[in-house]
Amino acid sequence: MPGRAVRAKAKERPLWLLTPGGLLMVLVILIPLALALWISLIDLDQYTLRRWIEAPFIGLGNYTEAFSSGLLHSIWISVSFAVLSTVATVPIGIAAALVTQNAYRGRGLVRAVFLIPYVLPSFVVATVWRTMLQPDGVVNEWLHRTGTLWLSGPHSYWTLILVEIWAAWPFIYLMALAALQSVDHEVHEASAVDGATWWPKLRSVILPYLRGPVLLACLLATLNHINNFTLPFVLFGSPAPDDVNVLPMIVYVTSFQSLRFGLSAAMAVLSLVLIAIPLFVYLRAVRLDVHEEGGR
Amino acid sequence: MSASAEATRLLPRSLLISITTVLVAVVLLPVGYIVLASLNSDVGVASGEFWPSSFSLNSYDKIWTTADLSTGIVNSLIVCAATAIASALLGTITAYVLVRYSFFGRLTILRGLVGLQSIPGTLMLLPVFVLFSSAGNYLGLTVIGTRWGLFLAYLTFALPFSTWVMVTYLRGLPRELEEAARTDGASTLVILWRIIFPLSLPAIVVAGIFAFLLGWNDVLFASVLTRPETHTAAVALQVFGSAQEGGALPVYSQMMAAALICAAPVVLLYLIFQRYLVGGLTAGGVK
Repeated sequence: MPGRAVRAKAKERPLWLLTPGGLLMVLVILIPLALALWISLIDLDQYTLRRWIEAPFIGLGNYTEAFSSGLLHSIWISVSFAVLSTVATVPIGIAAALVTQNAYRGRGLVRAVFLIPYVLPSFVVATVWRTMLQPDGVVNEWLHRTGTLWLSGPHSYWTLILVEIWAAWPFIYLMALAALQSVDHEVHEASAVDGATWWPKLRSVILPYLRGPVLLACLLATLNHINNFTLPFVLFGSPAPDDVNVLPMIVYVTSFQSLRFGLSAAMAVLSLVLIAIPLFVYLRAVRLDVHEEGGR
Repeated sequence: MSASAEATRLLPRSLLISITTVLVAVVLLPVGYIVLASLNSDVGVASGEFWPSSFSLNSYDKIWTTADLSTGIVNSLIVCAATAIASALLGTITAYVLVRYSFFGRLTILRGLVGLQSIPGTLMLLPVFVLFSSAGNYLGLTVIGTRWGLFLAYLTFALPFSTWVMVTYLRGLPRELEEAARTDGASTLVILWRIIFPLSLPAIVVAGIFAFLLGWNDVLFASVLTRPETHTAAVALQVFGSAQEGGALPVYSQMMAAALICAAPVVLLYLIFQRYLVGGLTAGGVK
């Protein structure tokens, strides 16, 4: 209701209260963001770091170099990894939401178990899988394989996806569950009266309710997958094997191991451009204006 | 089962049971592995045992001397608690103004709060690192390697996130109390302190816990901005883990004990605040 906002506007507005939070955000967010953009345009490395204000300006030089030093490969790895992970977690998450929707004895326990992968810190998840996937580890023992390498070589890409799926599906589950719980009871009863069996009822009555929230969750999940640094870093170490050299890893290694700060900033800015596409869609879809709602 | 429960049942019983069983097993196998491996011997884990041939609590005893875990946990607790308190309080004040008053640029700020949560950490780390190191070069201040530096760096993500959590909460809060207080002549600060803070305490706690977890779970910033004395628990575990490769005898059992110890505070927070936190998860959409 915009009327309320206008009424408040007529009175004195204590905008000065924004100062502490606002100043801090400018200091820790806006200034660093602007600086990142600037660094991507200068030739900054370990020799020029001490006096970085005087580092030579080289325009788009870092950007052209980024493309010739494996960035495209990393973009491909990151995007395919993120999309595959999201696509795989959707049916798992929805199925989990469906099985915990109806009350039964022990449901609370099942729900708590479903949250575990999400609650565990990423670095713990990665450490555990890294141990289990050692050549002599328990996974090879289970599969009766000896010495299969999961953490390097071509298998590593699928390892990354599988561990990410293990850790990330509860997010879709939570969003789907929240959407399921907002379906009216009458909807269920109406379709029950129709005598629909479970699959047609699910497909044409229930799942349409989930579409919007789950799509939104997919966007967010994809962004989170692309930005995930901890999992590949702890799982594979740095520098990462070529097959899992995702964007956060190449940016990190370029700045803090090769010490090519300018080049790394250019790569980071380019990954932001990549992320901006789903992010823009998300920002359009999520309700921002707080005055529309009146007061729930 | 009553008729109405029957009506809302979505899946046939057999399917429900099999899906639940598979998912619970997939989750619990690795979780069970951590527990069992931490009770095993280092040799047992390294040879690929799932069920220990002998149980003991040795790993939980030895880990404190093998890895620098206690320093890490203390540092993590200090830095994350400071981040949590600062961002929850500042976030509440900022969110209050954003929700209750309209002004030029408000929508941009709101959009920014949501957008910032998806900015890659690697993009923010580099300029923060350069700024911090130039504070050393140009101003003679040591920031890199201190807890203060890490605290400031964590605010980059914690502050917008806590503010957004508070925005989503405060816009559902009725205004009648505030308006009554205002007609009685209360100032904004009094209203904040006497009405908003007490009424939104559960949300403030959630915002604080999420800020705490952002810091606790971080490896990226801490791996660059800390020295061994200011290591966080996450970095201690990561360094310890990567040191196992190529070593003579990897101490995997101790590593699993350390992993469990690092996970314990997080799991504890979730157990205590489960109801509030799950609501916050779906509202904010960030871990």
